[in-house]
Amino acid sequence: MGSVHHEPAGGPTFEPLIQVDMEIKTFVSAWQHCDYVSTYMARMISQKRSDSVRHSNLFSSAFNELLEVAFRTRHAEGELACRVSRQGATDRIELTIPCVPEERQFYQEAVAQVAGFEARERYLNSVSGDLAPSREVVLLELAVDYNATLRVEEAEGDAIKLVVDLPLEGLQH
Amino acid sequence: MSPYILHPRFKAQYDPNNQEFSISGVVRPQAIDELGPSLALLRDAISCVRGVLYVNVKRLTQMNNAAFHAFSRVIIDACRARPDLRFVVITSSVVGWTSRKFGRLSGIEPNVTVEEYDSEFYPGQGFLEEGGFVPILRTQTKMTWRHERAILPRHGMRPGIVMADICCGIGDFAVLVQKEFQPSRIVALDHSISSLDYARRVMREFDIRGIEYTYGDASEMLLDEAQFDLVTCRHSLQIFNRPELILKELYRICKPGGRVYITNEKNSHCLGEPRAESIRWTYNEVAKLFAHFEMDVELGPKSRRYLMEAGFEDIRVESFMVTNLDGDPQDFADVIEAWADVYAGEMAAKRGDGPEFVARFRQGFQDHIFAALHPKGYAGWPIWIASGRRPQ
Ligand SMILES: C[S@@+](CC[C@H](N)C(=O)[O-])C[C@H]1O[C@@H](n2cnc3c(N)ncnc32)[C@H](O)[C@@H]1O
Repeated sequence: MGSVHHEPAGGPTFEPLIQVDMEIKTFVSAWQHCDYVSTYMARMISQKRSDSVRHSNLFSSAFNELLEVAFRTRHAEGELACRVSRQGATDRIELTIPCVPEERQFYQEAVAQVAGFEARERYLNSVSGDLAPSREVVLLELAVDYNATLRVEEAEGDAIKLVVDLPLEGLQH
Repeated sequence: MSPYILHPRFKAQYDPNNQEFSISGVVRPQAIDELGPSLALLRDAISCVRGVLYVNVKRLTQMNNAAFHAFSRVIIDACRARPDLRFVVITSSVVGWTSRKFGRLSGIEPNVTVEEYDSEFYPGQGFLEEGGFVPILRTQTKMTWRHERAILPRHGMRPGIVMADICCGIGDFAVLVQKEFQPSRIVALDHSISSLDYARRVMREFDIRGIEYTYGDASEMLLDEAQFDLVTCRHSLQIFNRPELILKELYRICKPGGRVYITNEKNSHCLGEPRAESIRWTYNEVAKLFAHFEMDVELGPKSRRYLMEAGFEDIRVESFMVTNLDGDPQDFADVIEAWADVYAGEMAAKRGDGPEFVARFRQGFQDHIFAALHPKGYAGWPIWIASGRRPQ
């Protein structure tokens, strides 16, 4: 807890719901942590949604992908911080991931790609391609299947902050 | 946080009779080798089917991109190698992401189609999910509640418990329970979007807390195992053609030591005086009409057997009769009127009943109403309650 959150002036205010921090070392010690953290947080934040069970299933699905991306970090020090906040129908995930400088650049480029208008094509190509989905494809999928918007923010120290807005409430039925 | 349980969380199966490959559960591998046997099973299935292979993901609750890609590759490769083969992926409308994600496959390979399995769970569903049933459900619950509020504590209801009401309809029962017994949490599930909308509106207007309404299929619920102290399912087992499947799900989500509580009718035992004969005839016909649509509204007294066969212990059964003397006789009459509308109306028409039959059929309901409103009359509607404990 404790990090101060700045919104762009005049932007909507996101109400904080939950935050889970852990040593990146601990996190990457077991793959199941991705599933476990995503399921736990999804359950915690979904109770007030109009359909808690469906919301929790969707949220966990999207969040797990982000955690699996974070799992592949090559940086062995620092903290992974997951914070979820809410504004109306949108849930915001802020994931602060320790990373080395090349990775910072990777995230910036990947997020720029996701915003590109050919995102859907790129995603479809990856599904029919031979390679297992790269981290970039995983981020693309969030945009394509969950209408997520992504951006990267600077974070203190050797870390980046991935900010993902998920309009899941609008995605139901 | 509880310790993470390490056991296989998904299951892949192939059913050669239906040419159906199904995968269910949570599929979130770190490496694709973990999927080896399941992928091999899919490849084997592809090599022996002709025509269509059904890929059933109705009960797939989670699948990460790595796994999705691995399964997709096998399917896409097969489409290219065997243009004679079609794939039909069956998703569930309940699991929000599956139709979107698997839907992408049909954009890539025209031989893949994605079908959202949905409405046709059981033959008579249409009649009961329509908005027309709302007023009946309201009045029915008001009348049964007078009895059930005293009965429920004998079946595990108490303050602070975590409970689920499956096939909750418009949510009246959940609201009454919330007020009277204050459980700490109620999850109420139904498959009718209009009923759930109604229930949510009531919750907002009356500022009710502690109830979570959720859209789902009672035979394949997204709810986790063993999380409820009490699972209720009222007047609903009797409308499924395979009640044992629903009961299995109720058992699954109930905690060991917790109880499952079901209520059901035996329609042919509805009764009244005067005009008993005509009333009896009509309700016998009601049972036959439902049977025609594969629903067993005679299920009440069979509850004990169903619960035993589903593996419950400490089974308790009781029955009560809703009568015209319980409250306002007009309420009783209103319910019968609504039954007549649906049973002698839409349902009889759908079965193809002739005008002569329908007239006599209707008369029995009119006579039941007559008995209910008669100053010396008596009219009854019997209900069976049964509950069982899930073994520790
Ligand atoms: C006879 S009503 C009973 C409603 C409520 N329990 C009551 O006592 O008033 C049956 C309910 O089952 C629901 N239902 C039907 N099929 C379902 C399914 N597959 N999954 C969940 N609910 C279903 C219907 O929408 C309807 O609300």
